Amino acid sequence: MSTQVHANLTEEQVKQISEGLDEPEWLLETRLDALDALEGLEMPDVIRTPGRNWTNLYDLDFAGFVDPLNAAEEKDQVGPEEVEVMSIAEALDEREELVREGFGSVVDPEENYLTALSTALFSTGTVVYVPEGVDAEDVTVRTRMNSQSLFNYTLVVTEKSSSVTILERQTTGDEVDGERYYSGLVEIDAGENSNVQYGSLQNVDEETYTYTLKRGHADSHATINWIEGNVGSRLTKSSVETHLQGEGSESQIVGAFFGHNDQHFDVAARVWHEAEHTTADLVTRGVLDDDARSVYEGVQDVGSDAWDTSSYQRENTLMLSDESEADASPKLIINNHDTEASHSATVGQVDQQDLFYMTSRGVSPRMARNMLVEGFFVPVLEEIAVEEFRDDLSDLVAERLRE
Amino acid sequence: MARLELRNLHAQVAEGGEKILDGVDLEVRSGEIHALMGPNGSGKSTTAKVIAGHPAYEVTDGEVLVHLDEEEFEDIEIPEDMRTVNLLDLEPNERAALGVFLGFQYPAEIEGVTMVNFLRTALNAKLEEREELFEDDEGEEAEADADDEDAGYDTSPMEGDVEEGDVGVAEFQEIMAEKMDQLDMDTEFAQRYLNAGFSGGEKKQNEVLQAAILEPSIAVLDEIDSGLDIDRLQDVSNGINALRDEQGAGILQITHYQRILDYVEPDHVHVMLDGKIAKSGGAELAHQLEDEGYDWVREEAYETA
Repeated sequence: MSTQVHANLTEEQVKQISEGLDEPEWLLETRLDALDALEGLEMPDVIRTPGRNWTNLYDLDFAGFVDPLNAAEEKDQVGPEEVEVMSIAEALDEREELVREGFGSVVDPEENYLTALSTALFSTGTVVYVPEGVDAEDVTVRTRMNSQSLFNYTLVVTEKSSSVTILERQTTGDEVDGERYYSGLVEIDAGENSNVQYGSLQNVDEETYTYTLKRGHADSHATINWIEGNVGSRLTKSSVETHLQGEGSESQIVGAFFGHNDQHFDVAARVWHEAEHTTADLVTRGVLDDDARSVYEGVQDVGSDAWDTSSYQRENTLMLSDESEADASPKLIINNHDTEASHSATVGQVDQQDLFYMTSRGVSPRMARNMLVEGFFVPVLEEIAVEEFRDDLSDLVAERLRE
Repeated sequence: MARLELRNLHAQVAEGGEKILDGVDLEVRSGEIHALMGPNGSGKSTTAKVIAGHPAYEVTDGEVLVHLDEEEFEDIEIPEDMRTVNLLDLEPNERAALGVFLGFQYPAEIEGVTMVNFLRTALNAKLEEREELFEDDEGEEAEADADDEDAGYDTSPMEGDVEEGDVGVAEFQEIMAEKMDQLDMDTEFAQRYLNAGFSGGEKKQNEVLQAAILEPSIAVLDEIDSGLDIDRLQDVSNGINALRDEQGAGILQITHYQRILDYVEPDHVHVMLDGKIAKSGGAELAHQLEDEGYDWVREEAYETA
């Protein structure tokens, strides 16, 4: 199925965005190529079970909520002195070569319809550059979306033996009429023996559709650890991915989502083992209440050259109502026999024995349920090394339970 | 003195399932230890679960009454007409608030909820629920407000902030440490997740600890002695004796074996067969059952019938 939802997007609009950022010619060309490609590109893959597409992106009214020339946001992007944390415009001005090398090197701009749309229209973004040997914590990127649509781009480059912790948050600010769209592409190029921890907490309002694709390339002995928290949004389509390209590289993907009302979460965690002695650990937990739905895909792909691979994946979804729905598809693809791997997924309701046990001690059913839900997220929270992020996520969970 | 009274209690597996209890009559007063014995499948555990309000069972006849002792309720005045309560009209958490505790044979393992937070929450919830249960009509509005509050909570129980009138974190930790010491439990247990990864013996000890902290008037302990080594059996027994001797609780000790009764001496022993009490007696009855089994009781029961 090809997509014809954007007949109203024009080269003029793309040129205008590019001019606004005072961009070099190569980037404008990349944008225009992506715009041209839109017509022939498919939507990103979604899980299909017999008779059903769990997430129907083709029916979304992109023409209605994509407003290319009126992007508005508030952004904080701060970090310690030894790290360069730049807006995309600053980065193009001061570190054009870095952006040119990095842009599109991890996520192909024309990978699918939504990456191409993002590439053609992005108007905001952050570039984080960590020089060799630098250890940096507390790079913070806060994006508050104030317009109908917002296209965000993030590039992280870490040089040899450096280390960085990045926390990103997305929220919505000024109200707008109708539905909204947030799109974010994140590329991480982790140099040899560097360490990146990238945490993202999405809590936009429930009139907003979100598409995010976060992908990293890990060089030899590099580590990329992702934390992905999704609480807001009407429909979340999120994929977090690592290519373990260098010997001894590692990745952990920790995910948490909590849906209520008619929220829909389509989340994926994917890792490709492409070199020897690589390790991956994927842990995702989600809770659904009311009519909320989730679909999870986890992929551990062990390549033929990936000797001595260790790869683990666990996904658990807890449903708080009879109307909520969940599907999970953990996949293990092994092309090298020297592999230690496991994968599992469960979907279940609150355990009635657990509830009875707690209420028999005097705790009200509602409080018992809330304690069980908070406890359910603990194994995920325990994997989060950054205290601030852990606190923010558990606060959002507690807030949701109070509603 | 509080009193738990089972009158002609009939129950079946919920939604029309198998009939299990066939007219149980039993009375336990605070300060007394009763042993409820009987072969597997006779209805002992079902009796315990029905008392506590387990949703898997449906009561088809009879009553489970609690006659309350006002002295145990400290600041709360219990209206005259509410001093006898039919537990079957109440939710499990309300039954707990009235001082009825169920010690489980197989306690749930609850990941992510620490012992200390759970028990502090339970203790505070019990105190609040008691107040709500005995508010007079004028208090209905306040009760409605309290129900609203119950729709969530102002602070996460994981963080453990304190509301007015609640037992605070520091105070509770002291209470818990003292009770753990009495039971010879490692204080590290306080920070562990509720029963998660506990050995069978640790779980049983934990049940007794919870009873010690929640201070019930009546504790129904369902086969809390099974699977314990001798040291743990003594610890658990000491805990049960303390519940009676120090807190004045009435104990309904459900057991399959005489062994625990060497340490927890019962005032009364009841034999359950086919969903009813077939015979009652003193501590010597337990010894006789150990020696001779249940067949003679069954024969006696048939003859009487």
